[in-house]
Amino acid sequence: MSEQELVEQLRHGDEEAFKKLVTLFQEKVFNTALNFLQNQQDAEDIAQEVFIQVYHSVSLFKSNSTLSTWIYRICITKCLDHTRNKKRKKRFAFISSLFSEKNVLLHEAPDFNHPGLQLDRKEDAAILFKMVNSLPGNQKTAFLLNKIDGLSYMEIGAIMKLSESAVDSLLQRAKQNLRKKINEQKP
Amino acid sequence: MKTETTKKAAEAIFNSFDGIVPAALPPFFYSRLLARMQREKDETVATIFLLRPAFLTISLSLVLVLNVLFLVQPAGKSGPSTVSAGKTGIESFAKAYNLGTTAVYE
Repeated sequence: MSEQELVEQLRHGDEEAFKKLVTLFQEKVFNTALNFLQNQQDAEDIAQEVFIQVYHSVSLFKSNSTLSTWIYRICITKCLDHTRNKKRKKRFAFISSLFSEKNVLLHEAPDFNHPGLQLDRKEDAAILFKMVNSLPGNQKTAFLLNKIDGLSYMEIGAIMKLSESAVDSLLQRAKQNLRKKINEQKP
Repeated sequence: MKTETTKKAAEAIFNSFDGIVPAALPPFFYSRLLARMQREKDETVATIFLLRPAFLTISLSLVLVLNVLFLVQPAGKSGPSTVSAGKTGIESFAKAYNLGTTAVYE
């Protein structure tokens, strides 16, 4: 079945086509969300939301880009929104803890251990994941899509709606920032 | 020597994502996705039912009718009956404790 046929069947609400779409993209979507959010439960929630949105708005999908690019775009937008909401909640929790009578320390998320990493790299990767989190959203997106998902500059450009040179520049800046942070941590 | 070690450690951190393999999906992902979609659909149906004009009109009419009933009923029925009930109550109380008007001068 071609992509066009799959989209056409999805537009008609075909359940089998939806199952096929989920089977095709579930691993990619879940892993992209996992790399972004660094939490299995959040990643699963976001992956589900991505497929629900795809199901409801497939009629809006114009075949200007590939289905994969469109799904990646939805996934990244949702991940960035989720991160923003989480930061806002954390800030609010901090402010409310200042005014509360109980002197409770805020819970800091533990280091993330990606399940697909080799054992000898887990510790270093946890440090790198923490540093990637401190990058600006677009640098983080470009870096993760390139470094972990292994996407080309052209594919990243299509997802982020940027030119290849802009993606290259983003990646250079992301790498520079990361090297700087790593060197600061290990003087 | 120390700088060389630090450089190597920094490089190891920077390249630690190399060779990463995709994580396994949580079990029953598709089933859970379908369950969530069904749940959200049910919630939407309930919300839509509550916002239907027919449902809203009937609810509003019922509230209006109940209001009118409460306004009209006390004036018509319960007014005199309360007074008479009050009178009999006082009389029976006076009788029971022997508090009739004559009792004061006895």
